[in-house]
Amino acid sequence: MRRRRASDWSYSIVLGMLAALGFTILVGPVVIVLLTSFTEGRSIKFPPSGLSLQWYRLLFDPVRSSQIHRAAMNSLEVALIAMASATVLATLAAVGLARRRGAWVRAVDTFFMSPMILPMLAFGLAALMYFTFMGFRPSLALIAVGHVVVISPLVLRTTAASLSQLDPALLESSASLGAGWLYTFRRVTLPVIAPGIAAGAFLAFVASLDNVPVSLFLAGPRSDMLPIRIGLRRADRDGAGADAGDGAGGRPHATLAWMTLMRQP
Amino acid sequence: MTGTRGHTLDIVAVTHRYGAVTAVADVSLAVRAGEIVALLGPSGCGKTTLLRVVAGFVRPQAGSVRIDGAAIDGLPANLRNVGIVFQNYALFPHMTVAQNVAYGLEARGRPRAEVRRTVETFLDVVRLGDFRDRLPRQLSGGQQQRVALARALAVEPTVLLLDEPFNALDKGLRLDMQIEIKRLQRQFGLTAILVTHDQDEAMSVADRIAVMNHGRVEQFDTPVNVYDRPATLFVSGFVGTTNLLRGRALEAKNGCAVVTLDAGARLTVRTERAFTAGVPVVLSARPEQLCLYTAPAPERWSVTRRLSVPLGPNTMHDLETRDGATLKLIEPRHAYGVDAKEEVWCGLRPEAEPGLFDASSI
Ligand SMILES: Nc1ncnc2c1ncn2[C@@H]1O[C@H](COP(=O)(O)OP(=O)(O)OP(=O)(O)O)[C@@H](O)[C@H]1O
Ligand SMILES: [Mg+2]
Repeated sequence: MRRRRASDWSYSIVLGMLAALGFTILVGPVVIVLLTSFTEGRSIKFPPSGLSLQWYRLLFDPVRSSQIHRAAMNSLEVALIAMASATVLATLAAVGLARRRGAWVRAVDTFFMSPMILPMLAFGLAALMYFTFMGFRPSLALIAVGHVVVISPLVLRTTAASLSQLDPALLESSASLGAGWLYTFRRVTLPVIAPGIAAGAFLAFVASLDNVPVSLFLAGPRSDMLPIRIGLRRADRDGAGADAGDGAGGRPHATLAWMTLMRQP
Repeated sequence: MTGTRGHTLDIVAVTHRYGAVTAVADVSLAVRAGEIVALLGPSGCGKTTLLRVVAGFVRPQAGSVRIDGAAIDGLPANLRNVGIVFQNYALFPHMTVAQNVAYGLEARGRPRAEVRRTVETFLDVVRLGDFRDRLPRQLSGGQQQRVALARALAVEPTVLLLDEPFNALDKGLRLDMQIEIKRLQRQFGLTAILVTHDQDEAMSVADRIAVMNHGRVEQFDTPVNVYDRPATLFVSGFVGTTNLLRGRALEAKNGCAVVTLDAGARLTVRTERAFTAGVPVVLSARPEQLCLYTAPAPERWSVTRRLSVPLGPNTMHDLETRDGATLKLIEPRHAYGVDAKEEVWCGLRPEAEPGLFDASSI
């Protein structure tokens, strides 16, 4: 065995420390919240005072947590619909733009990607004004439409990336074997880029599920969304649910919600 | 196998440009039914482009492609029934060997029983029956290539196009696959075009060779004629090894030209070309067309030997002429024992027919 040199060791140590730091920052909060949720007490404290499942019992209680249940169902429904629509639209867009050059192709690509650059809050507000002007009332369907706009770029990017990996000789082989473009798309292109589409769809689903800025503006009185319910509405409700806190008022939570808003690009 | 056997392919005055680059310049080739033609030429000379024109992936700016006399220029690639095997095989990575071979038949909507039967037949033809359920990445390079061949042949193409199909294979396997292609081509009476920049491959596999340079076909002839009677200076240099000797033409008549070489000799060479007296010429002589002598003569020129190395059953001499040109000469090893110290003269073998070209064509 070759002896490891000092530089190798210091490399490993620095790398290990960076990994530990990243892990602490990224995973730590989740672990702490998870542990805290088993608390016996009525306040959010770490370490939790005693263990119990009381908050989970409350969370799954159909009557006392009905509002949060409805919000969760709304969020899931919107996320599924938005993901499906965004996946179809963005995949078609990616296929249409693949392997083409020229000014207009780049322009269209930039246009499709623009929701990622635009602050979502601005888009949410603009969408609300626009849809109101058009005569639509805020609703779940409107939220889904808004989500499609902001999550499509995720699918577009991952699908475009796997399309650029697709060997054009595969398509030419298919054509020389007598297959038309639709047959080629179905039997060659789609299976080969499927992992990219799936990755994009997953990202899109998650992005829709925890989207606050767009939902905030497009939500109507009957379309309560889970992240908003958890984050914003907590303070002025009677506190049923897992987020029932220490009674220090809405301030910290509102701050948290605004931070969530501002974090979005 | 009626679809495969015996189709002619005519490429008529095809020109294709990519922007300012002329990739194929006014190429015409008449490929006979059941013939295998090699497109041979240096990198970038337009071989792939010409192949893509035939396959229908590229629409040429001018010219026409005909199969059995009928123009196919208006047909998209998927209606041409022209098979192609790519250098990297381009097997569908998510399909098994059998699914790859079945693909073309399914795309044409053939009945399932027929597809299964044809797949079996062609897996047997390329001897891959035991590998039917493997994915392409679980196969060796040679096996992948055989799958690509079976896949292309299963749809009974009128013409088979092969773009440097042996490049990714090591030497031994390459020879096996060359024999395999030749065997399949004979068995099915295939009309085929093989793109290569390996002259040995072109010589051994092809019935005729089209030597290309800068988008043009410089010579289209049998391997023996391309080697023995190169039409241009480029062909003589690209196919096989050759020695170039500069000189001047003195007179040319009755199919013979008298030439004085700068190296100091006066030769009579058979040639069909006409040369005006005094014009600079280049004599292109193969290493095996030269011979060493121990005595001077008007048609021999003096050389100094720099190196002699054994080459299989032969000896290769590296020579330098008086005017500074270097020559390669090959002779049977023990045919002629010249002492290293001796002064030697180089001349043409009596039966040799070297090429004579206008020097302005360099
Ligand atoms: N898609 C393209 N766009 C622009 N120029 C191209 C394109 N394809 C080929 N060319 C140019 O056309 C010329 C001929 O290319 P081609 O690929 O036909 O050469 P080749 O003989 O197949 O070479 P090689 O032996 O390297 O494969 C080259 O100068 C090449 O740079
Ligand atoms: Mg090429």
